[in-house]
Amino acid sequence: MRLIARFAKENKNNFEIIDVFDKEVKKHFLDKNNPKIKTLTKKYPAAIWMERKIRDEFGIEFEESFDNRPAIKHERFPKDIYPLRKDFKDKKIEFSKFTPYKYEEISGDSVFTVPVGPIHAGIIEPGHFHFSQAGEEILHLEVRHFYKYRAIEKMMENKNPLEITKIISRISGNESIAYQKAYFNILSKASGFEISENLNKTHAILLEIERIIHHLTDLGFIPNDAGFAAALAYMGKLAEEARRIFKKVTNHRFGFDAIFNNEFDFSSLNNFLDYLKNEIKFFENWIEDIPSVWDRFDTTGRLTKEKAIKYGVVGVGARASGIKIDTRDNDFYKKYGFEIQLGEKGEVADRFRVRIKEIYNSIEIIKNMLDVKKEEFEFSVKDGEYMSFVESSIGELFMYLNIVDGKTDRFYVRDPSHINWQAFHTTIYKDIIADFPLINKSFDLSYAGNDL
Amino acid sequence: MLRFWEKRIKTGIVTENLEFDKEFEEIKKEIKDKIKKHFAGSLAVRMVDSGSCNACEAECNALSNPYYDLERLGIHFVASPRHADILLVSGVMTFNMYHHVWDAYKQMPNPKWVITLGDCAKDLGVFEKTYAIKGIDLPVDYHIPGCPPSPKKIMREFLNFLKTTSIS
Ligand code: SF4
Repeated sequence: MRLIARFAKENKNNFEIIDVFDKEVKKHFLDKNNPKIKTLTKKYPAAIWMERKIRDEFGIEFEESFDNRPAIKHERFPKDIYPLRKDFKDKKIEFSKFTPYKYEEISGDSVFTVPVGPIHAGIIEPGHFHFSQAGEEILHLEVRHFYKYRAIEKMMENKNPLEITKIISRISGNESIAYQKAYFNILSKASGFEISENLNKTHAILLEIERIIHHLTDLGFIPNDAGFAAALAYMGKLAEEARRIFKKVTNHRFGFDAIFNNEFDFSSLNNFLDYLKNEIKFFENWIEDIPSVWDRFDTTGRLTKEKAIKYGVVGVGARASGIKIDTRDNDFYKKYGFEIQLGEKGEVADRFRVRIKEIYNSIEIIKNMLDVKKEEFEFSVKDGEYMSFVESSIGELFMYLNIVDGKTDRFYVRDPSHINWQAFHTTIYKDIIADFPLINKSFDLSYAGNDL
Repeated sequence: MLRFWEKRIKTGIVTENLEFDKEFEEIKKEIKDKIKKHFAGSLAVRMVDSGSCNACEAECNALSNPYYDLERLGIHFVASPRHADILLVSGVMTFNMYHHVWDAYKQMPNPKWVITLGDCAKDLGVFEKTYAIKGIDLPVDYHIPGCPPSPKKIMREFLNFLKTTSIS
């Protein structure tokens, strides 16, 4: 079984731990006076950040856990509050005394550490990368996040579920459509209506445009990090053109609020996709012929299939390691031309090529769906627990909503990045520190979506 | 490689908004002395994300694509706050980023300016206050609205900042 998420919620008489696997959902109810449960981390290493987050936010202990360090509670975060409990209502907290975070470090003769971030040299999101180095070689890397922790989950509580769509759109900007679609699916389930094929197609088109733009951006930045700047100019141009088309389609360059505004103009899409396909073909031929690029891409940043499975890695990261996992792998998508795109070795080169192949496939899917018509919808939500899955441009996105008395009682979302970040450190052991930006870009994970 | 050059020549220069160049030349004349004295002829911007959704960063990255090519105006992003004239801050300023952002600000040499980028940097935008959000309390000199502001809008606002900001 693959672990998708472990998260907690508070009920009137107990705490509840919800374990979501690909084949089943398990619930555990814990005594409020002494909340504890056995760790999942021995079998599922990606449960580590989930459990550390739950401990910080709910004060639930995990028995036999080997990592009890705080996750969202950084150095100056008060340690004695459990902000996701229902009785915690403060909107303002004071900084507490600085308590150092104990990094995973390797010590020894001539071993040194290189701390990178949270603020980085380029225009990127904040996060901390803690390297233990023996010269150029990386001995160990700890990825530390939650600098951008906004407490989105708490922000969503006690709201009319129909009035939080604007926040949903902006949890992780480059996956906005995926978040909107996941939430739309939840609202429609809660309203008891089945989404029509026509509407699903409409949304799928948007999702594929979002994916194309994300891939185009990466196809520029990955070679750029290997010193091949011409690719960035080429792809930067194409990504900009795609964004402008997205603006024509949704009236917003990132498609924010698009699914709920429900106003689309697909008229320019078909021609653009033909043009794009040619441009990608040119790019592919051109870059395949540049040995210095492949010299950097091949054998770099290898995510082995075993590790990917162990951590439950999703999305491009998993597929590039040859794992058949894609939320779109279903009858609906297949009918419109979806084909899963796989790599072999899980190296930077595989992730790069999977992105190219997925652009071709996304183009085909959109083209087969372009006969969509405008269709209205209306929600009237009923109390209950709802879940949904969507394939974002990064990977499988899981969303959960519990509605009580017409209000949001618990909102949870597991960004694909939350899993993939945790497997990230396994990919760098044969590489030198200078390869790190390249490897990082080849996964291109979201910090905002991870941190919430 | 030949293929590439052929394509390169066929494509030509795609950079738009050439009116900005002219405008910039004029501004330069207007505030030539100021620029020379304070910015050494160009504007160095250090961008810091204090808790954004990441779309504001994406639009800043887009500023370097061939359509905008911001650097041609002498406005460029730098890697260290110690090289910067301007701190460009996006996001809601989280509790966990607070000291890091202030650190970056303190590292900048004087004179220095702070520009906030995007609606949520000003008043949280669509977000609401939570315990994990501090909000930006740096001495802000200028704000660029939008969610996210488009690259063209950011360029226009940079020029406007140069025009309107009084530099003593
Ligand atoms: S202003 Fe809008 S686009 Fe920019 S970071 Fe905030 S939410 Fe994202």
